[in-house]
Formats: sequence, C-alpha cells, structure tokens
Amino acid sequence: MGNKQTIFTDEQLDAYQVILTKPIVVFVGFFSPSRLHGRYHELAPHLVPMDYTKDPDCKLPLALIVNMPELKENPFRNRIVESFSEDGMGNLSFNEFVDMFSVLSEMAPRELKAIYAFKIYDFNVDNYLCKEDLEKTLNKLTKEELTPEEVQLVCEKAIEEADLDGDNKLSFADFENMISRAPDFLSTFHIRI
Amino acid sequence: MSTVSESLVGSSRSLSAAKRHKSVRKNSRRIYSAYQDHDQGSSDEEDKVDERVDSDDPEEMFQNIQYQKEIIANIRTRPWPMRRKLKVLKHAREIVLKYEGRLTRTRGYQTAGADMLKKMSRMLYNIVVVFIPWEVRIKKIESHFGSGVASYFIFLRWLFGINIVLTIMTGAFIVLPELLAGAPFGTTRSKTIPKEHLASAQDLDTIWSLGGYLQYSVLFYGYYGRVRKIGSAGYRLPLAYFLVGMAVFAYSFIILLRKMAKNSRLSLASASDENFTFCWRVFCAWDYLIGNPEAAESKGAAIVNNIREAIVEEQEKKKDTSLAVLISLRLLANILVLMSLAGSIYIIYFVVDRSQKLEQEKPELTLWEKNEVSVVVSLITMIAPSAFELVAQLEMYHPRTSLRFQLARVLVLYLGNLYSLIIALLDKVNSMSSTIPVSPANWSDTSSYLATIAQPAASSLSTLVSEISHRNSTITTTATPLDVTNRSRGSSDTFSNQTAQFDKNTRSPQDQCWETYVGQEMLKLSIIDMIFTVASILLIDFIRGLVVRYLSDCCCWDLESKFPEYGEFKIAENVLHLIYNQGMIWMGAFFSPCLPAFNVLKLIGLMYLRSWAVLTCNVPHQQVFKASRSNNFYLAMLLFMLFLCMLPTIFAIVRYRPSQHCGPFSGQEKIYDIISETVASDFPLWFSKVMSYVTSPVVVLPALLLLFMLIYYLQAIARSLKFTNNQLMMQLQTERTDDKKKVFQMAAARLQAPGEEVVEQKSDEHESDITSQDPSIQTPSPQRNGSVTNLHTPGQRSNSIRTITQSASRGELNRAVAGSSRSPAAIPKQRLEQVPNRHTPSLGGPSGSCRSKSYYHKVCNHQASYSDNIQSDPLYRKTLRAIHPVEPAGIITAHSYGGRHGHATRYVIVNEHEPRKKLLRSATRIPRHYLMEEEPAEILELYPCNIKRYTPRTPHQQPHPHRSHLSQQNLNEDEEKEGKRRRRVLLEKAYRPCSLSDLHQPAHFYIGDRVESHMSVAKDIHVGRGRYRSQEEDEEEEGDIRWRGLKSHSRSQDSVRGAEPQLVRTRRHLNSPGRNWQSPTRSRQIKSKTGPNLEQPLTESDSASLASSSDQQNSGTDQYIQVIHNKERYLKSDTRQGKLSKKRFKETLDLDSLEANDLVCSNV
Repeated sequence: MGNKQTIFTDEQLDAYQVILTKPIVVFVGFFSPSRLHGRYHELAPHLVPMDYTKDPDCKLPLALIVNMPELKENPFRNRIVESFSEDGMGNLSFNEFVDMFSVLSEMAPRELKAIYAFKIYDFNVDNYLCKEDLEKTLNKLTKEELTPEEVQLVCEKAIEEADLDGDNKLSFADFENMISRAPDFLSTFHIRI
Repeated sequence: MSTVSESLVGSSRSLSAAKRHKSVRKNSRRIYSAYQDHDQGSSDEEDKVDERVDSDDPEEMFQNIQYQKEIIANIRTRPWPMRRKLKVLKHAREIVLKYEGRLTRTRGYQTAGADMLKKMSRMLYNIVVVFIPWEVRIKKIESHFGSGVASYFIFLRWLFGINIVLTIMTGAFIVLPELLAGAPFGTTRSKTIPKEHLASAQDLDTIWSLGGYLQYSVLFYGYYGRVRKIGSAGYRLPLAYFLVGMAVFAYSFIILLRKMAKNSRLSLASASDENFTFCWRVFCAWDYLIGNPEAAESKGAAIVNNIREAIVEEQEKKKDTSLAVLISLRLLANILVLMSLAGSIYIIYFVVDRSQKLEQEKPELTLWEKNEVSVVVSLITMIAPSAFELVAQLEMYHPRTSLRFQLARVLVLYLGNLYSLIIALLDKVNSMSSTIPVSPANWSDTSSYLATIAQPAASSLSTLVSEISHRNSTITTTATPLDVTNRSRGSSDTFSNQTAQFDKNTRSPQDQCWETYVGQEMLKLSIIDMIFTVASILLIDFIRGLVVRYLSDCCCWDLESKFPEYGEFKIAENVLHLIYNQGMIWMGAFFSPCLPAFNVLKLIGLMYLRSWAVLTCNVPHQQVFKASRSNNFYLAMLLFMLFLCMLPTIFAIVRYRPSQHCGPFSGQEKIYDIISETVASDFPLWFSKVMSYVTSPVVVLPALLLLFMLIYYLQAIARSLKFTNNQLMMQLQTERTDDKKKVFQMAAARLQAPGEEVVEQKSDEHESDITSQDPSIQTPSPQRNGSVTNLHTPGQRSNSIRTITQSASRGELNRAVAGSSRSPAAIPKQRLEQVPNRHTPSLGGPSGSCRSKSYYHKVCNHQASYSDNIQSDPLYRKTLRAIHPVEPAGIITAHSYGGRHGHATRYVIVNEHEPRKKLLRSATRIPRHYLMEEEPAEILELYPCNIKRYTPRTPHQQPHPHRSHLSQQNLNEDEEKEGKRRRRVLLEKAYRPCSLSDLHQPAHFYIGDRVESHMSVAKDIHVGRGRYRSQEEDEEEEGDIRWRGLKSHSRSQDSVRGAEPQLVRTRRHLNSPGRNWQSPTRSRQIKSKTGPNLEQPLTESDSASLASSSDQQNSGTDQYIQVIHNKERYLKSDTRQGKLSKKRFKETLDLDSLEANDLVCSNV
C-alpha cells in the first residue's frame, strides 16, 4: 500500500494489524510496522535487513535502542527495553521492538500497560516490588536528589499505602489495584512514535 | 470458552498432559512468566488446537472455530511476547481458515464477506486517522513536553473541531443560501452602503472597525434579507437563521456533555478518593512521553519538589505556622483579587460608556478611541492573570489549591469582562432601540416616513434631503443619543454638520441595527484578542527567549535562571484563554454568523503559532495541572462558559425587539415570532392547532411538572446509586482490611496459574511444609522433583486451589492444634542438650516409614520421580536462575544459595538411598554417625528429612483425622515412640493421591495447617530441625534466618486458622511488631483481643494440650509478626531465642521461624 519496497508481506502486515494494540496506519508518519521498521533499521543500518518478509533473526542490543530519542530521556529506559526483551538482557528483535511500542501506545488496554509497568519497576525481577525496587525507582526518577532518609520515608509510605497483604512489598495485585486508580497512569505511561 | 475447550480436550487428556509438560518446560524458559495469566492457558490452548485438528464433528469444529476467533480477537490484550503472539495468531488463523470452509459453504462466504468488511473499515479508519489534523505536530510537542502541554493542544484541536461543525452549520444553512439565493448586494436598503460612506467604505480605517463593506456583508446579521422564502426553491432563510442560531448552542451543549460523560467514564476509576499519594508520585510521576532533555530536567525537578512536598505534608500535617497571619494574608489576597475584579469590570463599563460619550461629542474618532473597548478588554485579560498569580503567592496555599484558585479567579475575570461588555453593549442597544419610541413625534414621523419609503428608492431620497434637514434642525437635541449610535457605525468622516445630520437621518433606520452592532463588537473583540495573543507570544515568549539566550553572556546575572528566564507555558491559563475565546464566539455567533468561521481561522493560526512558540522558546510549567483530570475540569469550565454566554444572547433575543430595517427578523415583534409565524402560515392547519394546544398552559404545565418529577426521580436514583456506590466501596474497604488474605490468595493464584515455574516452587514449598520440613533450604532437589510430578499431573489448578486449601485449614483445625500443642512438649530441653536427641527421632522417623510397606510403595513412586528429578534438577535450577537473574542478595539469593549449598552431596545421597528403599535405615544411621561431627551433620540430617518429607507429604489427609489425632496424642506422651507412630500415620497417609502436588495453591497460607496436621509425622523432624537450626544459627547467614522465619509463619498460621482474624492480626502486628515481641504474654493478650475466633479452635482442640497450644499460638503470632518485618525482626528473635532458649515455646518459636522463612521463599 504505497510502500516503495516490500518490507513485510501482506500477511505479516495483517497479522500486525490484529495483534498490535494500536490500529496501524500504513501511511508515513504514523504508527505502522513499516515506520517502526524504519526506526528500527536506522538504529543499526548495517545490521537490520530491509527485507523482513522472511522473519530474519536479528536483535539489537540495549545500548542502541536506549538511544532512541523517544527513550533517551526516560529514566527507566533500560528497564523498559529489558522488560520487553525475551532474554531479559535488553536485546530486542524487531517483533519485540514493535511489541514495546504497541504496548506503550495510547490504545493499549490498561491491564496490559499495568503488567508491563510492573515489569519495568521490578528491577530485580522477583515479581515483587520490594523496597529495593522502590528505592531504585525513586533514585532514577529524581536523579538521586533526595536524601536517603527521604527515599526511605517515601518507600515506606508507598508500600504502606499499596500493600494489601502486609508482606511489605507490592505484589502485582497490589500494584494493579493501585495503578488502576491512578488518574493519569494511562496518559503518562505511553510513548508516541 | 474454557468450558468448551475443556470438554473438548477431555478425551485426549493424556496427550495434552504430555504436551503441557513440554509447554511448561518451554514456559519455564520464559522470564516473565510470573504474571502472565494467559501463558499457561495459552499453551494449553495451543495443545488443544493441535488435538482438535482431527475431529470432524461439525459442532465441535464450529466451537473450535469460535474459540480460535476469540483468541484472535483477544490476542492484542495479552501480555505475550510478540513472537508468541504471531505464532498463536498464525496457528489460530490457519485453523479457522481450514475448517471454516469445511463447515458450510455459506458460513465460509459469510466470513469472507465479514473479512472484507473488516478490511475495508480498517482502511477507512486508516484514512480517517491520516486526516486528524496536527497529529504529528501534537505528537512532537507531546514527546517534548509531556502530556500536560499536549493536553492544551488537544483541547485546542477539539475546539477547532467544534468550530468547524459550527462553521459548517452556519455556512451551509445561512451564509451560502443568502449568498446564492438572497437578494444581491446593493439591491435592498439593508444591503447597500449609504452613499456618503461609499467613499470611505474601502478605507483601511473603516474596514478595521468593521464598517464599510464589511458591515454590509454576510458577516453580520443586518445583511440578511427579511424575505420569507428566497430562491426558486423557497428556502426559508429567516427560519433557518433562527434555527441555526439555536442549533449552535444545542450542538455545543450536546457535544460538550457527551465529551464530559465520556471523560468521566474513562476516569471513573480515579473518581474514588482513595489515597495512594506516594505510590502515584513514584509510579505515575514520570511522563513517558517526554523526550526533550530540558523538559526531562524540569520534570525531574518537579517530581522532586512534588515528593518533597508530600513528605513535608506528611510530616507536619497539623503544624500551622501563625494561623492568624495566614488568614489575614489570605483575606488580604482575596480582597485584592476582588478589588481587581471589580476594577476591571468598572474599567470596561467605563470605557464603553466613554466611547459612547466620545462618539457623541466628537465627530471624528481616532483609531485608539474606536478600538478602545476591545483593547482595554484584551489588556485586562492579559495582565490580570499575572497579577492574580502575584497575589496568590501571598496566600501560601498548596500549589494545587493555589492553581485552582488562580483558575477560578481568571475564569471569573474573563466572565466578568465578557459580561460587563455585553451588558454595556446591551445598554447601548437599549438606548438605541428606545430612542425610537421616546423621540418626539416629528422625529418618529421621519423615521416612520423613511421606513415606509421603498428602500431602494435612492432617487427620492435626494428630494427628501431638504425636508429632512429642515426637520433635523428642530430635533437635534432629541436626536443626540441616536447620534452616538450613528457615529459608532464608523461614519466618522462626515463633512459638515448639516450633511452629517442628514446622513444620520437617512441612515438611521439602517444603522439602527443593534444586532449588527453587537456582532461587530464581538468580532472586533475577537480580532483584537487574537492580535494581543500573537503579540504576547512574540513579545513575551519569543523576544524574551531571544534576549535570554543571546544576552545572557553579556549580562551581569544569569538571565536564564534568574529574572527574565524563558517564558513558561502556562497550560491552565492558556486553556482558560481558549475557553474565553470560545465564549466570545458563542456570544456573538447569533449576530455574526461568520464568527465561527473566523474562529476556525484563528484557532488554526493559534495552533501553529503556539506550537512553534512552545517548541522554540517555552519551557514547560513547573506545576503541571494533571492532564487527564483537568480534561473534565476544562470541559466543565467550558460548559459553564457556554451556559453563561448563551444567557445574554437568549436574553437579547427574548427581550429586545429586532431591528426594524435590517436582518431577517425585521418587522417582527420578537425574534422567536418567526417560529409561530411559520407554524401558522406554512404548516397545515391541524398542525398549528396542535401547536396551540401543545403550547397552551394545559399542556405546558403538566409537561413542566412531569419534567420536574423526572428530574427529581433521576436525582433520587443518582443519589441511591451514589449511596450504593459508597456502600460498595466501604464493603470493598472492609473486605480489604479484613480479607487481605483473600486478596493475597488471588494474587498468588494469578501468579501461579500462568507460570509453571512459580507453581512448581510454590507447590514444592507447600509440600515440604506439609512435612514440616524446609525443603527449599535443605533439599532443593526434591522440591523441584515434586514440582516435576506436578507437571505430570494434569491439573486445573486454579480451580482446585481454593477449595483444597480451605478444607485443609478448616477440617484440620483440631488436629493441627493438637499438633501444635504437642510440639512444645516435644522440645522440653535446652538446645544443646537436645542435639543428640533431636537427631534420633528425626532419623527414626524415616526408618520407621521405610518399614511400612505402603510407604515403600509410595516411596517407590516418589523415588522414581526423584531420580528423574535429580537428573532434571540442573535444568530446574537454571530456570530458577533465569527467573531471578538480577536478584540481589535478597530473599531469593538466600534461597538459592541455601539450596545449592548442600546440593550436590544431597543428591548423591538421595540417589543412593532412594532407589534402594530398604537402605533407608542405613541412611538414617548414616546421619547419626555424622552427628558426632559438627558441621557435616547438617547435610546428613537433611537427607533423612527429605526422604521423610515425601512420606508425610503424601498424607494430605483429610480422611484420617482421628488417627492422626491419636498419633498426635501419642506424640505428646513420648518422643521415642514416634517412629512407630509415624509408621502408622504413614500407613494411613501413604495412599494419598499423588496429585497432591496440584494443591500448590497459596501454599504459604495454609502450610501451617498442614504442618500441624502432620505434626505427628513431622514432629520429630521439626524438633530435630529446630534444634539443628538453633545450633547452626550463629554460623548461618541471613538466608537461614529467613528460613526459620518462614517456618514460624506457617506455624502461626495454623494456630491462627481463621482467615479473617488472621488478617486483622497481621495488620496489628505490622503496626506494633516490637511490642509483640517484647513478651509472649503481651502478644497473647493482643491475640485474645483481636481474634476470638482464634481462641475457638484452641478450646475445641485437644484439651489436654490446651495450655501448650496456647503457648504455641503466642509464639505463632509472634513469629507471624516476624514474618512481616523480615530481617531485623528475625535477628531480634534470634537473639531473644538465645536468651530464652530454655523455655519450650521459645523452642517452638524457633521452629516457627523456620517455617515462616519458608513462607518468604514461597512468595518468591
């Protein structure tokens, strides 16, 4: 549909249409596999093939992806990329790359976003947001401008607020419960590309 | 969906089990399996898909297809990695394709058609999306400045959309028909520029003040003809004019309310006033859209401020510094604001008045004098908000409240401006229209005479001149008020007094058009406002930005951070300005049909200018009003504005007589008469009859009553709904506080269901807990083995989970209690002394069990699985590690370390012993032998335990409560006999189904119960362990301590028993853990207070062991506390234990602590 060269087969595009949370627009400048591929390609032109009709196996390392302008200023950029990579190390294949921006698009359902937000904030990948995670989150967020005491206090308060089961850390249920009430979670937890 | 699939799968379950096993393995590789609810399910789904491929039954096929379709439909909401989604989708599609055609031909066609349709709609949607204006631009802004700033532009775009519709409405139904079919320019009086003005009609000056050609154009009300039907089609322009004027308001109302309803539906979740202040400030603080370093920096600073603020608020909530000063300051501030509001209103009124007077006195007005009103209004709207901001600093409110105040004040100011302007205008209109009847007879004669003259009769006019001028001389005094209006028309360039007066008189009927006048003023205001906006953007933002950037080097202070800085983008005020602007449009739209069109242009310009300014020279405001929440706030203000702007228009329509010589309603008494007139003349007779009935009081009053009743009813419903809402919320809250357990359970189920690994772990721990051994510590391998068996068993886990756990907890109450009571008795001696004793019972246990045949049998099974597992163990470990790759020194590391610690050796031993079951005894001996030596003893001891663990685990035992009870009593009597007893118990329990592993549920919670129930069996192990632990304590690291804690937790759990009381207690303990710790008696008191339920089971339970059991409970609760506050508490407990080691319950404490630690692990 107006693309000069075929990066994807129609079948692939169709699959993306169904899977991605955001409706795909095939024209330039909008959310579409071709455009995402363009972005992906420009991160490492020599690595990423132009032809994706045969699903080439190609992964870009975290360091490259993190440098995208959309992510560059994000304090959690490493975590975001890691959360969406299958190996947990931040190496993203193109599909995972698409997945990332699909989940982070504004059309993704809240539950899905909550799941990934939880992953992002779960620094130590233990499926709980413990104090340590919170500390890290805070320090990233504030660029370590808060004193340790303040950080401690905030962590304790945050856990106290959201911890339903009293285990002193936030499980996903706690987190979801909390985040589903946040007024601006949906509007802020999204990246435009 | 699941039921269908289940039934379908039923036949080929064995196959699916195998597959599931495989898929589980596959899953275990996955890192994030933990909360992927659908993961497990989906793998099953895949399997099912495979299975069903062969079936030919159409019904089945149909269901299959439906099922696949559901997968396809839901796939985008599933948190799978992309590759998996693609795979599943492909698979599902293939199946759908393959079978759909086979099913029936028509169905195939149907789906093909539906597919086509879907594709088409998607295409259409794509196209529509492309035409969303400024999408890319807003996106860019959003990515630079975050959602807050973008919300302004989105709001602007939305307003733009509304204005487009309004423009289309007015354009299509008023302007175009008038242009196409109406009388052409110059044909009628109201469409002709008076001769004397013709010369100046094209002057910039005139045009600027919207006179001349502009005045006599479709821009304004006065131009529209009064002919009822125009064109060959007979278009009823006046009717259309009126209806469209009303439709503008109606449409605005509807669209606004709809938007608001949608927004409130979206933000329904946030409507609750629940407080997650800190959480939100941490987790929702960052705006992921931000992509600009500066914005990121200021956002970071804002977050820091925010958090600090919250901390300060939290710390000194009640601390008010010098309330009196604050109150007086706020009073002062409010007085200042009120004064400035009143001042601005007065100024506007004064200016309008002055312009009136000026027009009277001076024949020629300067440019300033002509535009005075709108300039002053615009200036006020520009300056006053900043003044308010300064004033707001006096008040020292919380930033958010001060922002609210600021917004409210600005809104009031804008409204005041608009209102005073419109009131002044209407005042003028009033005087204008009233002059006619008030004027003396001869004057009114003239006007009426003129009115009667055919309007285009310009030739006759000249003959009239002399006469008119003559008359004029007589009535100049009375005509003065009229002059004002005449002059305001922009006819400032009159040549002589005489001719001027002539002008006035000839034009007077025409100029009497107050509607045009109002329209002109509104349009003028809008234009001036636009100019001021542009100027302020250029001056305040752009020039300032330039100066700051390029002069900062040659200035003695830092321009960028000190005084001028860069202009901030004040979202709230800018949005308010938009609202104000829209208010002007609404106010003037009726009198100037092209105002929406002009507004569209203005908004377009504003969009580009603002976005350019934002991107080049603005920094985002520090305190961003929360975008999503403010949306409805903005809309509410807009609604408010719409209503208030509609009022004057409606008032003018209803109150004033339309101008007699211009506009579509000329000659009517009231503007709305057009409706009744149309009904009377153009509709059939019956319709007008019906209308007259309908509008008669007989109908109207009941209708009004009905409306009131409806409103009342709806309000009542709303109130009751609110009430139920509140109640539900309360219920939720109580449930949450009371029933935390449930929540936790659910969470656990959630976590477990998807990720097999997690399930494995939990179930393992669970089982191990049953045996009262700490598997995770001592033998990770068996643990995992257990999980493996779990994998084999086909399980609908989530279903079985809850029921089982509950039955366990309730049914085994008595037994468990007995067991718990027993345990203290079992540990009567001091630790060190007991060391040898400890070992013997524990060792004896396994040996005894070995003797029992059934046990052997069981063991065989288990052993088999063991060996398997052992081989597979490395795999598991890997998965474990994969799950927690980044794990810090926390819980899990401890776990894994502990596990790995003795691993290799253990395995070896297990291998040796388990295949040859009979050697178990020898195995038991081996530990003993090791016992003599200090360190290695640890490992050896563990072995027997492991072995045993399996045996007890098997007995999950609801069926044999009595026996176990007996056995427990026995236990109480003598430790030495445990071996035999154990044998017995084992016998009973041996035939428990191996599917026990399915009961992996929220293991930690009920673990305790099971432990107790199996106390008889596991008691010695416990004891041994406990002692062992105590021995080891010092050497052990944190991890160990944790383990202990776990145990204690489970223990405490069994003692607690009831879910609710438990929850209550947890809270309590959380709050005051230290206290509880201080003395067992204390904790006991607390317990008795908190949970009478707790006591109940105790009393019911073995009376003989009552005292001890209570002790146990106390200890249990203590331990529970411990669990909650992990590390420090444990450490404390340890020290305490050291002191109180002589006491029994302390000993049990130790045990308990072990269990509690297990809990922690299981959580992992």
